[in-house]
Amino acid sequence: MTQIFSPAADTWLRLFLLGSLALTAGGVVMIVGVARSDYVTSTNFRPSQPIPFSHRHHAGELGIDCRYCHSSVEKGPHAGLPPTATCMTCHSQIWTNASMLKPVRQSLAKGKPIEWTRVAKLPDYVFFRHDIHIAKGVGCETCHGRIDEMALTYRAKAFTMQFCLDCHRDPAPNVRPVDAITTMGWKPHGDARAAGNAIAAHENIRLGELTHCYVCHR
Amino acid sequence: MPQQPQSSDDPDRPRLWSGIEELSGDPSFENWVNAEFPSAMELPPTARRQFLKLMGASFALAGLTACEKSPFVAALPYVNQPADEAPGVPRYYATAVTFEGYAQPVIATTYAGRPTKLDGNPDHPVTQGRSDVFMQAAVLGLYDTDRAQGPTRRGEPATWKDVAGYIDEQRENWATTQGEGLRLLIGSTASPTLLRQIDELLAQFPKARIHTHEAAARMARHRLTQAAYGQALDVHYTLDACDVVVSFDDDFLGPGPDQVRNARAWSAARRRNANEPGIRLFVAEPVPSLTGVVATRLVADVQRLPILTQAFAARAGVEGASMPDISGPERDWIEAAAAACKAVAGRVLIACGGCCDDTAALWIARINDALKNIGRTLNFTRPVAGPTPAGTINDLVADMNAGNVDTLIVVDANPAYAAPMSLGFADALKKVSATVHVGLQQDETGYRCEWQFPLTHALESWSDARAVDGTATILQPTVAPFYDVRSVHQIFGMLLGEIDPTRDGAVRATWQTTFGGDFDKHWAQALHDGFISGAAPFVTENVSAQAIGRPAPAAQIGEGEFDVIFHPDPTIWDGRFANVGWLQELPKPLTTLTWGNAVSIGPLLAKHFGLVNGDHVEVAIGDRHIEGPVWVMPGQAEHAIALSMGYGRTRAGRVGDSLGYNAFEVMPADGARLAKGNLRKVGGHETLAVTQLHHRMEGFDFVREVNASNPTLPKAEQQPSFYPPWPSSKNAWGMVIDLDSCIGCNACVVACTAENNVPVVGKEQVEAGREMHWLRIARYYKGDVETPRSFFQPVPCMHCEEAPCEMGCPVHATTHSPEGVNQMVYNRCIGTRTCSSFCPYKVRRFNFYDFRAPEDSPLHAADNPDVTVRSRGVMEKCTYCTQRIEAAHAVADKDSRAIRDGEVMTACQSACPTRAITFGDINDPQSEVSRLKRDGRHYALLEEQGTRPRTTYLARWRDDAGDHQG
Repeated sequence: MTQIFSPAADTWLRLFLLGSLALTAGGVVMIVGVARSDYVTSTNFRPSQPIPFSHRHHAGELGIDCRYCHSSVEKGPHAGLPPTATCMTCHSQIWTNASMLKPVRQSLAKGKPIEWTRVAKLPDYVFFRHDIHIAKGVGCETCHGRIDEMALTYRAKAFTMQFCLDCHRDPAPNVRPVDAITTMGWKPHGDARAAGNAIAAHENIRLGELTHCYVCHR
Repeated sequence: MPQQPQSSDDPDRPRLWSGIEELSGDPSFENWVNAEFPSAMELPPTARRQFLKLMGASFALAGLTACEKSPFVAALPYVNQPADEAPGVPRYYATAVTFEGYAQPVIATTYAGRPTKLDGNPDHPVTQGRSDVFMQAAVLGLYDTDRAQGPTRRGEPATWKDVAGYIDEQRENWATTQGEGLRLLIGSTASPTLLRQIDELLAQFPKARIHTHEAAARMARHRLTQAAYGQALDVHYTLDACDVVVSFDDDFLGPGPDQVRNARAWSAARRRNANEPGIRLFVAEPVPSLTGVVATRLVADVQRLPILTQAFAARAGVEGASMPDISGPERDWIEAAAAACKAVAGRVLIACGGCCDDTAALWIARINDALKNIGRTLNFTRPVAGPTPAGTINDLVADMNAGNVDTLIVVDANPAYAAPMSLGFADALKKVSATVHVGLQQDETGYRCEWQFPLTHALESWSDARAVDGTATILQPTVAPFYDVRSVHQIFGMLLGEIDPTRDGAVRATWQTTFGGDFDKHWAQALHDGFISGAAPFVTENVSAQAIGRPAPAAQIGEGEFDVIFHPDPTIWDGRFANVGWLQELPKPLTTLTWGNAVSIGPLLAKHFGLVNGDHVEVAIGDRHIEGPVWVMPGQAEHAIALSMGYGRTRAGRVGDSLGYNAFEVMPADGARLAKGNLRKVGGHETLAVTQLHHRMEGFDFVREVNASNPTLPKAEQQPSFYPPWPSSKNAWGMVIDLDSCIGCNACVVACTAENNVPVVGKEQVEAGREMHWLRIARYYKGDVETPRSFFQPVPCMHCEEAPCEMGCPVHATTHSPEGVNQMVYNRCIGTRTCSSFCPYKVRRFNFYDFRAPEDSPLHAADNPDVTVRSRGVMEKCTYCTQRIEAAHAVADKDSRAIRDGEVMTACQSACPTRAITFGDINDPQSEVSRLKRDGRHYALLEEQGTRPRTTYLARWRDDAGDHQG
């Protein structure tokens, strides 16, 4: 009787099994990795803007308060982008002829909005409210990162459901005193958890009630 | 299996049936109604294999939908942001929409300047925040893409400059003739500014004439007061001051301008006492109405009404009334009603409706005189709406045919459709050289006129209008006009010779005299409040029936003839709302018919002709006839045929065209709402898009009743459960629906549609059982088909503590919140529909198609931005208006306080004209909803299922004394 399998067949089979296992495991790692990658979550990417607006200059170097431009952050769900008129409060006085600011002047002249590219975006099925987060001690920096160091604005944190839920499950490490909401680089004194718990208690954060679906999806 | 209806031994748990098909006990029909989705019954048996294959593939591919990269999109800020405008924060305006010219005061919610939702104005003295279907749906009319979008002449686009030139030319002609040959035809209006402008126009051109026309209006009531008191008067009921109301065909709780006021007052009176109903109704009527449902009802043919009124007059001791021959049930009803009236002397009202003839109206007037009701429970004022005096459309058509009319201006009326066809308005119009239609749409009349001047919608206009009691509201625009349109006051300004009138000038001028010196302060106050406080200028008239002669003996009906009764449609009225999808898809009360009308006949007549629902019949009046499907209405009188107006339109728009039959085809030329006619069976049958047999529950005692002698239902034992109870957070939401107050008006359903972006699916989909309303008003009957008692039951999601749907979902797309809300997460749903098959209440709705409006449609602006617009393949259902709960949480949390009782109002609750729906925190023992859950009438639907629903009901009161039919 002739041999059907060559002496190497056993080795090939083992290699094949090992290979498929590695491929499956690698595939899973790759899919999870890609899903969390900067590319898919659009983090650390600086989209081109009609005006190369620098938060580093305005918020960092000049120290303009976040709420000067994002004026409805305490009033409603959206922080709001500044209307052209807000830009012109200063730029009708300084840098009035800068070529960089031409789109701002044109917007005002033509009554057409400046077409910014949105950097911080949540999916349509997420109903996020800025006002309640600000009121309960979640600082701008917690979600948006060190805006004061960004020359061109980028998404510092991946806005995944896990990112939201980590904090909704356990807000204490992520809250700060309400008077430090817009402070960049804020650090708690001493024990971060104890400080966070004290703030959560003071602000009546409804611990344990913030993770059900209808809090964000409806 | 649904039980066959049969007499029940337990009066608290009556056996109910929901359609005459069910009474016949046909097994194939039973299979059909038992199917989860009746249309799936027609699938071949192998479809299951195919279905499983597709389901497997869907499961495998569902995960891929998550692989989308978060895109970068444009963000557009304002150039100049309006002061105190914050994106995503709603703003509210107190204004009004109009219905038959009367103001329906509203608070309009706007997002980024776009109105999305109308609610009643809670401070208004008449409506007190309550609403009806027309008010709720008015916002969709604003975004109607079939509106007239700019002036046209002979169908060609024109400019307002052309219009101004034309009017100028015409004015020169009128000036030479003093307006000879100029006629205006105006729909009923209660706008002081418009009435002032009409007077000014008549002053400028004294030979011009005004005519007024409303097809469905309360002209019927004016006919009755004319017969009884010799003058046209508005009738105002003070139901709060009544203990007993006896109505002869007056559907005062039914749809119409008066519905909100009467329903609110009736329900307040009904709830006056803790342990018995506070007001009782006795209704004798040929065609079942919403008032009849909540009353001790006598089925009475039209020709019996004068006899019954005479009998009641005799029984009430009215001078000159002798007791006529009446049948046993009639005698019982009259005895019961008369005894009830006697027991509460002075707190009684006798009401008179459209099927009453002059004799009956006169008898009723005399009874009201004898019982001294006028001034106590019944008031009369001169008509709130105008213009008066005005000619009728019949005078106008006669003059048009005689060649006496050179220019006809039709304002906010559609006589080419909504007037009797035998009048021949459309033909007479051809004899008029200059014709202008001023209206929101280029409808049948606009199409036939030389000019179309498009009007602004009430939500875009500066105007004013009076409510049914005469309280005036200044209408302020919630948004700038979308199209090149002008308000009726601007157009009248042009007719009066003004050049380019401002949008609010005429309204300001009207109120200048009333407000006097401190104008700006009063004006701002009136706009803020949404109505003008102070005495209504309509004083009660002192009238008496004695001046008119004796009632004539009643006329008899001929052999083989029937009484044909014309009703305005309960959802699209006389056709003016035909292009509003929300109203077309709204199941009509009692029939649950959508997207069409039917010829309603009684069960005896159906038996006689061998007719079943959907069979085609021909109704002939004189030499005119129409053909339509028949609807066998349980409880309709033997000789009555009811037709509903509003359908058969040809130029309503994409939604409302070519549906149903046109009742105006056979309406007598004098516009009478009652005529003698014949019925004939013709071949043909059609499927009617009725919803009552969809979404059926298993059982038979959904609606419970109690009576005053035994006002407490037995407490049900809680069914055991394998599962531990859910931990509750601070708030636990719950709802109680008082079935005793529900009049089945559907305002809650439209409010829910508007608030929650519920799609309109169309006639075919409704026929397939796929309507999407999150809340259904189930209608049940008890007793025999000739004289049944009817029940309404609103059924939203029950938010069960032990929810079968939550156990069924394979992907956890429906979960339980710590506040007890059964949550539906669209972005997680993969559309297996398991939850729906597990739901014993059948309240879940599935998006079989993508029902979203096209991307460029203006309808998107009507969507509530706080609620997801669902796409194809996901399940949806009532959420307890979670967006309102979360918004209330945000407001309360910002102040670090608890949510107050009444702070969260669901859309259905705030719309309900009778306050039948109460929502709140059941963890708070002081809350209104907790108090109602402790009431003796409290029960849970299908409690034997052990689902522990959060939405529960209060049983209906049974008025035992008059319950001879039960």
